[in-house]
Amino acid sequence: MGARTRRGMATTRSGRGAVTRAADTHSRRGSLAVVPAVAAVLFVLGAGLGAALLQSLGLMPLVGDPRLTIAPYLDVRTYLFGAAGLSLLIASASTLLAALVGLTTALHLVGSRRGQRVLAVLATASIPVPHLVGAASVGLLLADGGLISRWLGVPADSWPALVAGRWPVAVVIEYAWKESAFVALVVTASLTTRAVSYLETAALLGAGPWARLRHVTLPLAGPSLVAASAITFVYTLGSYEVAWLLGAAYPEPLPVMSYRLFTSTDLTARPQAMAVAVMTTALAAMVAVAALGLLRRMAAWR
Amino acid sequence: MRRPAQLLRGALAGFLVVWFLTPLIPLVLWAGAEGWSGVARLPERWSLDAFLTALGEGSGIALLRSLALGTAVAILATPTGALAARALARGTVRRPRLVAAVLLAPVALPVFAVVMGLNVVLLRLHLPAPIGILLVLVVAALPYTTYVMRVAYGAYDVAYEDEARTLGASPWAVAWWVRLPLLAPGVASATFLAFLVGWSDYIVTLVVGGGRFVTVPVLVASAASGTGNEPTVAALSIGALVPPTLALTAAALLRRRLTRPAVRLREPARADRALASTPGAA
Repeated sequence: MGARTRRGMATTRSGRGAVTRAADTHSRRGSLAVVPAVAAVLFVLGAGLGAALLQSLGLMPLVGDPRLTIAPYLDVRTYLFGAAGLSLLIASASTLLAALVGLTTALHLVGSRRGQRVLAVLATASIPVPHLVGAASVGLLLADGGLISRWLGVPADSWPALVAGRWPVAVVIEYAWKESAFVALVVTASLTTRAVSYLETAALLGAGPWARLRHVTLPLAGPSLVAASAITFVYTLGSYEVAWLLGAAYPEPLPVMSYRLFTSTDLTARPQAMAVAVMTTALAAMVAVAALGLLRRMAAWR
Repeated sequence: MRRPAQLLRGALAGFLVVWFLTPLIPLVLWAGAEGWSGVARLPERWSLDAFLTALGEGSGIALLRSLALGTAVAILATPTGALAARALARGTVRRPRLVAAVLLAPVALPVFAVVMGLNVVLLRLHLPAPIGILLVLVVAALPYTTYVMRVAYGAYDVAYEDEARTLGASPWAVAWWVRLPLLAPGVASATFLAFLVGWSDYIVTLVVGGGRFVTVPVLVASAASGTGNEPTVAALSIGALVPPTLALTAAALLRRRLTRPAVRLREPARADRALASTPGAA
């Protein structure tokens, strides 16, 4: 309000466009400004998820007449639980690792001077790496005959199946690597703006390093850590290319299963692909809502 | 008590450096390897032939296509997000929480599900594949540009504009000399993130493009899913790393150059930091 009055006075004094400028802050102009962004998001999400739901229920068939059915869901249900379990395992393990390493990196970047620059540059350097490139490189690192097996001198046939094996080790490592840099970036940003003055106050009041970590740094880092972890979780849950490239053919996580059915030459597989996509969306939405609830309850948020 | 803590700190820092650096090492070694037998720790013969092979596989045109896609996403998503962010920051939007939730939603929902469903709609609308890809990627980038610009506008003090106007500056002069320099760090970050969304995408390009719109990630994927062509995979991957790394460096340099005067204005904050980092205070 204060800004608006001052702005009005200023424009009157400079003698131009007082009317248009006053209208600038009017709520209709403000609401109009969000229309392009909101319209694009609503169209893509609404049409995309709406069409996925309709196709999964047989209401938007590629050929023939629309007929309401839940058969696609029943067709995939035996594999759905396994795929969902694997997806949740990948997402949980990746998020946990990324949060741990990311938080440690952030604490190190905020807390000490030595080696800070090198670490900051390295953590930032992995931000622009596309996940697909990260996956290709982790493959060259961890596969049998990969860099680590060569450096350790382990012959290819006795090397554990980290890539495309029973457990999604390489998949989790790629996600944890990329997303730990993301977590570090977000948490560092939230700490550098406020933590320094609070830490100084706590130190002046006689708080030791552990007390400062427990009562100042961690509570301040909490909301951004939860937000970054939640984004990491839903991203890894719904991401395709890393698990496709580094995971086993079976078991497969939800996105890989869905895309395989989507590209199947069997036309009845299309509604099944959509059923898996709808279930993945529901799972991601539940996680997002839970994370928002958690964030709202955290004291330092906003 | 101080010694072990410092040792632990050093060991942790060492681990973190190894953690962030190691996954990129194979790319450098394989891209320069001409001969690398199964047991050797390092390539026996070095050459840059892999880059020539990669160029021969049509990566030149794919590089241009990816650059165009990333640039187009940045050009569309940055101003659109900034416009919405400005309205949200000024509190001139009805139902601001709902609007913010809608604009952040693309981050929470799996993009493969959205794009697989949308594909039928795009086909029925007879939209060319590149337009459809661009549309989905702009929506995928909007949460980032909106959020970054929302923070930038939140820290932006409109009183500077009033000051300039009081001194007789025209609206254009205010926009060019006051608003743009103050918001430029945010604009640089938002533009970089939007470019990255377009540059890195694989699944949207794959589903909407049907494999016929070949970008750099599509080339990397097809090379990496085969076997025995590690040097080509590495060379293509390095090609995929150079433009976004340059963009990140440019954005960081721009941010540093532009925030320097602002730092001078916040002199007391810097003094705080210097004090906190002295051994006596810590």
